[in-house]
Amino acid sequence: QDRSLTGKVTAEDGSVLPGVNIAVKGTNRGSTTDAKGEYSLSVSQGSTLVFSFIGFQTQEAVVGSQSVLNVSLKNDVSQLQEVVVTALGQEKKRNELVYAAQQVSAEQLTQTRNPNLMNALSGKLAGVDIKVSNTMGGSTNVVIRGFKSITGNNQALWVIDGVPVSNANNNTTTQQTGGAGVDYGNAASDINPDNIASINVLKGAAASALYGSRASNGVIMVTTKKGRKNSFDVTVNSGVTWGKIDKSTFARYQTEYGQGYVSTFKQANLGAGLGDVAPYDVDASFGPKFDGRPVYQWDAIDKFSPNFGKQTPWVKAENGPASFYETAVTSNQSIALSGGGDASTFKIGYTRSDETGVLPNSSLKKNLFNFGGSYDLNKKLTVAATVNFSNIKGNGRNNTGYNGKNPNQGFRQWWPLSVDIAQQKEAYFRNQQNVTWNWANIQGTNPIFADNPYYTRYKNFSNDTRDHYQGSASATYKIASWVDFTGRFSYDGTIDAQEERISVGSAAVPSYIRFDRNFHETNLDLLFNFRKEITKGISFTGLLGSNMRRSYESSMRASTNGGLAVPNLYSLSNSVSAIEAPTEIVRKIGVDGIFANASFDYKGLVNLDLAARQDKSTTLPKSSNTYFYPSVGANFVFSELPMLKNNWLTLGKLRANYAEVGNDAPWGSIYDVYDKPTGIGTVPYFSLPNTKNNANLKSERTKSYEIGIEAAFLNDRLGFDVTGYKTSTLDQILPVSVTSATGFTARYVNSGEMQNKGIEVSAYITPIKTEDFSWTMNVNYTRNRNKVVSLYGDVTNVQIASLQGGVTINAALETNADGKVIGGLPFGVIRGTNFTYMNGQKVVGTNGIYKPSASSGEIIGNPNPDWLGGVTNTLKYKSIALSFLVDIRQGGNIFSLDQWYGEGSGLYPITAGLNELGIPKRDDVYQRGSDGKYLLDAAGKKIQAANPGGVLFPGVQADGSPNTVRAENIDGNSLSAYGYTSNAPRAMYVYDASYVKLREASISYSLPQALVNKTRAFKEISVSVIGRNLWIIHKNMKYSDPEDGLSSGTSNGAGGYQSGAYPTVRSYGFNVKFRF
Amino acid sequence: CVDSLDDYNVDTKKAPTVTAVTLFSNSLKGLIDALVTPNVNNNNYRLYVQQWAETTYLDEQRYNLTARAIPQALWQSLYRDVISDLTEAKKILNANTLLSAESKNNQLAQIEIVEVLAWSVLVNTFGDIPYTQAMDPLNPLPKFDDAKTVYYSLLDRLDAALLLLNTTGTGFGAGDLIYKGDIAKWRKFGNSLKLRLALVIADSDAAKAKTLIAAAAPNVFTANADKAAFPYVATPPNYNPVAQNLNPTYSTRQDYVITSVFIDPMNELNDPRRQQWFTTVGGVYKGGAYGFANTYADFSKVGTKIVDPTLEGIFMDYSEVEFSLAEAIERGLITGDAADHYNKAITASITYWGGSATDAATYIAQPKVAYATATGDYKQKIGFQKWFALYNRGWESWVEWRRLDYPKLLPPTGGSAPAGLQIPVRIIYPIVEQTLNPTNLKTASAAIGGDLASTKLWWDKF
Repeated sequence: QDRSLTGKVTAEDGSVLPGVNIAVKGTNRGSTTDAKGEYSLSVSQGSTLVFSFIGFQTQEAVVGSQSVLNVSLKNDVSQLQEVVVTALGQEKKRNELVYAAQQVSAEQLTQTRNPNLMNALSGKLAGVDIKVSNTMGGSTNVVIRGFKSITGNNQALWVIDGVPVSNANNNTTTQQTGGAGVDYGNAASDINPDNIASINVLKGAAASALYGSRASNGVIMVTTKKGRKNSFDVTVNSGVTWGKIDKSTFARYQTEYGQGYVSTFKQANLGAGLGDVAPYDVDASFGPKFDGRPVYQWDAIDKFSPNFGKQTPWVKAENGPASFYETAVTSNQSIALSGGGDASTFKIGYTRSDETGVLPNSSLKKNLFNFGGSYDLNKKLTVAATVNFSNIKGNGRNNTGYNGKNPNQGFRQWWPLSVDIAQQKEAYFRNQQNVTWNWANIQGTNPIFADNPYYTRYKNFSNDTRDHYQGSASATYKIASWVDFTGRFSYDGTIDAQEERISVGSAAVPSYIRFDRNFHETNLDLLFNFRKEITKGISFTGLLGSNMRRSYESSMRASTNGGLAVPNLYSLSNSVSAIEAPTEIVRKIGVDGIFANASFDYKGLVNLDLAARQDKSTTLPKSSNTYFYPSVGANFVFSELPMLKNNWLTLGKLRANYAEVGNDAPWGSIYDVYDKPTGIGTVPYFSLPNTKNNANLKSERTKSYEIGIEAAFLNDRLGFDVTGYKTSTLDQILPVSVTSATGFTARYVNSGEMQNKGIEVSAYITPIKTEDFSWTMNVNYTRNRNKVVSLYGDVTNVQIASLQGGVTINAALETNADGKVIGGLPFGVIRGTNFTYMNGQKVVGTNGIYKPSASSGEIIGNPNPDWLGGVTNTLKYKSIALSFLVDIRQGGNIFSLDQWYGEGSGLYPITAGLNELGIPKRDDVYQRGSDGKYLLDAAGKKIQAANPGGVLFPGVQADGSPNTVRAENIDGNSLSAYGYTSNAPRAMYVYDASYVKLREASISYSLPQALVNKTRAFKEISVSVIGRNLWIIHKNMKYSDPEDGLSSGTSNGAGGYQSGAYPTVRSYGFNVKFRF
Repeated sequence: CVDSLDDYNVDTKKAPTVTAVTLFSNSLKGLIDALVTPNVNNNNYRLYVQQWAETTYLDEQRYNLTARAIPQALWQSLYRDVISDLTEAKKILNANTLLSAESKNNQLAQIEIVEVLAWSVLVNTFGDIPYTQAMDPLNPLPKFDDAKTVYYSLLDRLDAALLLLNTTGTGFGAGDLIYKGDIAKWRKFGNSLKLRLALVIADSDAAKAKTLIAAAAPNVFTANADKAAFPYVATPPNYNPVAQNLNPTYSTRQDYVITSVFIDPMNELNDPRRQQWFTTVGGVYKGGAYGFANTYADFSKVGTKIVDPTLEGIFMDYSEVEFSLAEAIERGLITGDAADHYNKAITASITYWGGSATDAATYIAQPKVAYATATGDYKQKIGFQKWFALYNRGWESWVEWRRLDYPKLLPPTGGSAPAGLQIPVRIIYPIVEQTLNPTNLKTASAAIGGDLASTKLWWDKF
């Protein structure tokens, strides 16, 4: 007997759910909830109602005697049943996907309140290699499934709500290759983490091909939070974190010797009589031994110092360079409002983040605004719009690389250990002058190489702003029940302004540099979406669309010339000489694409997916500017087979796909133009550019295969997703390096192939799950093997970067002794001089130092890791949750310019102390007469001292006998056993970049719901204690963080180089969250 | 539609076409910078001929050519920045149908003379070099040509260029930064260059040298005013690279002092050029130890005239020509009074640097200077004085030292100096060529007798 039943369906958080499907089990009757989440239905007692709604667990309820049945649906936490947003904003059930896609929830992202979204992803995704710089707001390298392009962009494409956004890195090429520069970060770091509902990563070409060319590197799809109809919700987050450098990632020093290159003092009278003078004009620690004697040091030359004209004890500085770093403070406040009425939804968010970095005088301020809304004009037409605006203001960002403005150039490479940082600080703040430890002369008129590091930070800082505008407007019209049409216009614009300065009084020529850049991209998408059941059991979903993309970039970089006329005035007009013409760039790119996607589903058991896209790009020659690429994929959900149903197997799925993606050329690589150097007087100069363009370029292509298996067991307590893939990028458009004997140093060609093969695994397990306690583990594993398959003609090596210290980063083929190609090498291999070997033993030269190979083109390192892993453990007890992420990188090499120079200049412990005989390494190896000259035996050879210092390197001599020649280690100018002075093989300074890091940890406590409900005002209150980069559990690079790279981009290869590396910032703090 | 967006891939901020003269002007700047710069990354010839010594960092004066990409810097600037622009300028000129034949010939000849000079620097630095297959962007692996063949080709090209010059037509005008379009002076410059290049082969092919010099000698420079020089200005980047690296306005570095090897004999001869060339320490000219660390404050450094940003850069000067004539006479290639030319050479150098004719005469009158009484044979006498006259012109001085084998220069020995140092008589091929053009490089290395700094070039017989 039927009777009337009403009720309300809500989500766990209490918000109403309109559109929930209610079916009476075993019948074809049912209903849906209205805009207020209410339903009414006529049913008989004892029947079962099935409530289902996308994104929530399906729930059944037996109708009893009641007339009102309210149901609260639980969020669908199953990792395999969730709804994922795929290319162009299409929503699909994970079941239907024929490719790998991995989702990260808002909770996982924002748990430790990392202000940089990119960094917050580290360790949470399989197949994604994220390299975080240790610079404040600095750039992050995000590469999915390996480097594919030899010289082009390898960064993943970022897409917000279906709209591509810029992730440009506007650092200079010099900065990206380890030279002087500032790390301004890349633009994806402007995305507000608090505005994110989830992130879905499309890793392979099949998943991303619909985005066209730029998606060949994978896509990171950001779905922002949306308001819900008939609800209102306010979330407030407030948190503070503090950061300190992790000293295990900073230099540790020898403690016995001070400033100088040689062990003796010079003599002069600086006020207290003739006495020892520290070699203030050198920047090394190969000087005299600390013995506490009175010595005129740098401050004896500073007129304003209390030590002016005085001698001070020759001892190790009490405050070493580590004390230069301050405590960073980041305050992060955000508010988000969302909700909706019967026909509309909205959300408004604002986040403010104030950061001061560990470097003195550094700060980063972010203001992030988000708005989104939708309105159902009628049953058929819905309009929606989003606007995101961010304003980033940086001050005193990190200078990186080999750069006087990077304090680590000093601290890690050229530093006197007798100089006290605290005294340098006092000396600077006494009158804000450049009181350096490194005077050019005894009058102290100016520095020679290095400025006072505080002066550098307070006077020679950079500042910058980045305004990022991003938004879209769309209209969706339901043409029929099986087809709707969406038109969407989107805009993404950034305005960058950067200013850099060198003040009058610095060691370098005073200057002011200004960079202004304006970029915007518009996309117009027209999409037809189809969804229809063709016959019983076979359903079809399809997409037909077009995309019109136009981008515009305009920038100017100008600098003063020959110095600044008036001190402290930073304007181009303040140039001493007339300024050179600014570097002016205007780049326009247009791409038109049409695409189609059809997928057929048979009873949820088998899914076939076909897609194709054709692009036409302005960057290619007109005759060959069109390129087409297809993809095909299928899956088989074997857990849907009747014999496997209701089993321990929750879900099982096999999938396979093949896809191609075409790619256009970089802008401006077709037509030749001339460079215009600054002419002399009224005579203009023109010059051929360094790179020869190519009018015959055609599109390049990425082909990829992928197979995967997904399975979940025991009601989702345990599951995994394993994917294997192979990607080849062919016909690469690259400015291949050529000998300058061709008249150019590079030439654009259409050649070369790079291959990536790999396995990625993501798995989860909930070993314990009780009412009060649960423990969940998420594991990600990535193993990618990259290989350069071919280059260009007979060319066997393409140099990506030539770096200081005599090493290069390359894409190379493996050749045998005759120069014949015998295979491919991984991208980014490091070349330099190697050890020479005899019968597997290292050969030591006649000077006692390892003999470098004759060629500096030997392969001495491969920066690519063997594998990456991330393990997140989440433990929940009642309202307390503990979560921590361990991030692992195994293998990969780094050349350290810091060690190369720093060991040469006598900074590190290895350069001092005792040798294997117990004699100080810095003592003489050979006997000398009273005149300081070596004593010679009858044969004219030097005579070894009775107790020789120096270093005995294990190895063999040229004749194969064990090495007995001690390397001298007495003089930083030329007789040092280590580093650059020794000209040792560069291979000696290549390190293993492995690490195991406790990347994130948080403990959060949510007030019990009952208690919160009593407050009436709140829906949720939680407090968390958070930490990031807490502990480097293991690493093999002694004095630095092996992860710290130079920048994002390709020009530093796969990151196999460190110069002036920054220490890791360990941060901890708390956050309070209110929802009402 | 994309097809209508014709301007999208066009660089609207750069020139698609230019005139030949602008490329020519630029290549002059490129060539002179390469020869003049004292930057340790590019040009260390002043250290090799022991005019200067380093203070703190000793790699370069101890002939380390691999710690920095030094060979590459010269290779790249000459091939990519000088010869490529000259080649392009010729291409543009040849395509120009509106220019009169006389003018075109003059301009082609001007380009050719500079190009021959640039090639001669390459071939006399490295030995075998890519030449016939060079300058072709479509051939990324150009073969190296035999140095001697290249050199003889340059001699032919120079002769052909001289025939093209005619004073009735105009050459490059204001863009000719050397002579402002004075074709008569270009003829002198070309002939002086011919004299210089011909003397290089005097030991290996005296007959050829004789023919060439006989033709060139009557048409060479006859006064300081004839010199081929680049007019650096005070404004970066068109200032003298010595100022860029050593003038305190532009650099605080204190990398160099003058060597005692160079200053001591000048002191002994009371050389009037010292006041222009060096600073004093405690009122005297004092040189540092060559090959070892030196305290900057303790020794003479480059003088204010040398670090003047407007100091002109010299391709070739009159003094050098007179020394060459003296030598040619001694070698019997032409006839004349060697002593007279020797005296003129010294006088030209002293007066160029601001000394008076009287100063020069006094200087020459000293027995150790006077041609009749100075020590040694003609090679030693000329080599010694030419070494002074080529002060601050490291590369040219290095060629003359290799050619004349005087003055006798010794590498640093003892103390902290590594054993077995040898002053380079050749520069090794750029390291990048090992990966960019490996097979051809290997062949060339074998052909010249090893890619070493100690491998003598084909003409370096003694």
